[in-house]
Amino acid sequence: MTAEPTRPIPLPPQRAASGATKIVVPSLIGALVALTLGIYGRLHHPTGIAVNIAGFSSPGSVKSWLATAATVFAVVQVGSALVMYGKVPRVAAPSWIGGLHRWSGRLAFLLAVPVAIHCLYALGFQTYSTRVLVHSLLGCAFFGAFTVKMLILPKRGLPGWVLPVVGALVFTVLVAIWFTSAFWFFSTFGIKR
Amino acid sequence: MKRNTPLLTLLTGGALGIALLIASMLAPSSKTPTSYAAAATTPSSTATAVALPSPSTAASRSQTATPSANAPLRADYAGRVKGGIHASVAISIHGTQAIAYACNGSSVEAWLKGTAVGGRLALTGKNGAVLTANYDSRRAFGDVSADGVTYSFSVYTVKKPSGLYRAIADVRGATIKAGWIVLPDGTQVGSLESNPGAAAPSATGAPALDVAAGTAQDGSTVLHVTQISGVTGTGF
Repeated sequence: MTAEPTRPIPLPPQRAASGATKIVVPSLIGALVALTLGIYGRLHHPTGIAVNIAGFSSPGSVKSWLATAATVFAVVQVGSALVMYGKVPRVAAPSWIGGLHRWSGRLAFLLAVPVAIHCLYALGFQTYSTRVLVHSLLGCAFFGAFTVKMLILPKRGLPGWVLPVVGALVFTVLVAIWFTSAFWFFSTFGIKR
Repeated sequence: MKRNTPLLTLLTGGALGIALLIASMLAPSSKTPTSYAAAATTPSSTATAVALPSPSTAASRSQTATPSANAPLRADYAGRVKGGIHASVAISIHGTQAIAYACNGSSVEAWLKGTAVGGRLALTGKNGAVLTANYDSRRAFGDVSADGVTYSFSVYTVKKPSGLYRAIADVRGATIKAGWIVLPDGTQVGSLESNPGAAAPSATGAPALDVAAGTAQDGSTVLHVTQISGVTGTGF
């Protein structure tokens, strides 16, 4: 965004920078992201409030709908990835499938960010029930895992299974987050507001 | 260049997050609080949370009952519900967590857990039990639904030995979970579930609680009782 090079980086001289390093460094950065979120959520005293988005009846409702939208885009992610990898019988990948995959992913991520900020700022990392503990842990882990996915995405020469595995991990964590929050919210308080 | 778009996505998300965080910090503290209470307010309606207040109801409610800035971080409340002879409710707040127990001394009872943020309580329990309330340093008032019954309440802070007590014991393979609300006048309201894990656990009146000893005698079994107090943090 700022000082990032906009031209292809010439291959570094030490091409021996092995596949392992290409995974380990992004993983460490991702772990750091998750840890930072968790520590912030634990240390920052929850305020109970944050900037609100108009048009919804309550912050819980806003977050549940945003999270649901993000999860729907995440399902598109898995579907488009399967098509791209030729895993859907008798479906040839159309030319726009890559664009669909990229943009659904970006939208899912950008929808998830406000939800996470509200969680961290207003509610914090909490442990008072299994649902809440699991949700807190996975919420932090999701952004770590997504960071890993984004960082290894442009890397060349990785084993073919790496991206699908990391992508599946990101998807699984997001769906688990959705079940421990939005699904809980809708089933507890109802969908219609 | 394609190579950098994932990083761009990350940085955009990060920037959005930081912007929202700053906006939250700058937001006036008089905005609607976040607890799910606003969404869940079921003004003395029937049991299920599906009965929904219109947005205007919710809005007017949050105006009339402006969450006080003096919402305590630690508090214990207990008292009888409105129009109830025995039915009582006890709420303990410890930080942002809250535990509540509502009970009529026999079959109707519920343990609830949830959040206490900015003067609003939003708690849920098994079998659709829901409690929503406002609280300040003096009292807590709102509604609780349990076992198909909804009570309105306005209860005041209490000091030990009044408050909420719980006992969990395994007796010959069966779990017993009992709760007592000890009111300021010394009255005890308690129920005992003989199999709280069951889909529809049956509750009966609890045996007398010896507050000083911290025990209760259930037949031949001695139950050891813990006080649940937000002020001291025990039971959380």
